[in-house]
Amino acid sequence: MTGRSATSLVSAAVGGDESAWAELVRRYTPLVYSVIRSYDLSGADASDVNQTVWLRLVEHLGRVRDPQALAAWLATTTRRECYRLSRLGRRTQLVDPYDDALDAYHGFSRAPDAAGPDEELLRAERRQALREGFAQLPPRCQELLSLLTADPPPSYREIAERLGMPVGSIGPTQARCLRRLRECPALAPFLGAAATRTNGGDRGGAVAAGR
Amino acid sequence: MVEPWPPADDDVLTAELGAALREVGPVPEEFLTAARAAFAWRDVAAEVALAELMFDSACDAEPAGLTRSAGSARTLSFRSGAVVLEVEVTEAGIVGQLFPPGGGRVSAQTATGTYDEAPVDEVGFFSLDAPPPGPVRLRAHTEGYVVATTWVALR
Repeated sequence: MTGRSATSLVSAAVGGDESAWAELVRRYTPLVYSVIRSYDLSGADASDVNQTVWLRLVEHLGRVRDPQALAAWLATTTRRECYRLSRLGRRTQLVDPYDDALDAYHGFSRAPDAAGPDEELLRAERRQALREGFAQLPPRCQELLSLLTADPPPSYREIAERLGMPVGSIGPTQARCLRRLRECPALAPFLGAAATRTNGGDRGGAVAAGR
Repeated sequence: MVEPWPPADDDVLTAELGAALREVGPVPEEFLTAARAAFAWRDVAAEVALAELMFDSACDAEPAGLTRSAGSARTLSFRSGAVVLEVEVTEAGIVGQLFPPGGGRVSAQTATGTYDEAPVDEVGFFSLDAPPPGPVRLRAHTEGYVVATTWVALR
């Protein structure tokens, strides 16, 4: 199942195959979640956006013309619904500022930083682009890169055992996966960008919300 | 100083990716559960037309020439071919109009099931209880057609 293409998963799900749907969910929830987290929504709003996006995909499944473009469809739909809920401004007073789940998100925006706000925004957008790019990598790449970026990282021997690959192919596989990450469309707007804002536009929450 | 990005060095990029992933953390189980459960709403009946969201006063600019109705009301417009479904949502409830009018019934659904149902009068008006938070969709059954709106949070 993990090796199946998005195309075959979508057509199986259209036919009612629930395990194909579960695999689509497993593969793309990190993307949806990561876009949601780039907006400053309350926990309830975040859950509602997630649920809305997946219900939309269910109703939209039979119309997915290019399943390879599914990631882009999901990211766009998620952004739009985040924007809608942020405009509704409901329940905003109920956000618990001490909620641990929000700390990670706010962490970087509150941290005192010598860089100007533009630079900090650009860096936040790049991190978001990396997460979206990562969410679109093949499952095998995601597994390997997750292990390599774990804190503390397991040894190469442990990684080799867990993934059932020879120690000698970890390095080359990592290089290949990172190359795919660099080529991912999510990173395209930032390629070669200096630490000043160029056309990163449209990607992050702050920018999208100002549209 | 111009630093190329993403970094060409694999170790630097791996470290930056790790920081980006840790910042957000793993997908909460609740998100996975809701996403899996959405599959139950797969419309087996293919004859139900999907009415897309064309306008939402909460986030779209008001079309020129349209007078805004009651102050706090949110208005949304859905469309499927010639069928148009317009609703006004307030804390008191939903009032809507279905075009072309033809009697029938409208039901309002959340991800957990139907929360209200009402008849459509001869000019297409209907009213429903206030929606709970979270995605909602309306389904209209008339003599001539069956449509379901796309899912959207109404409040």
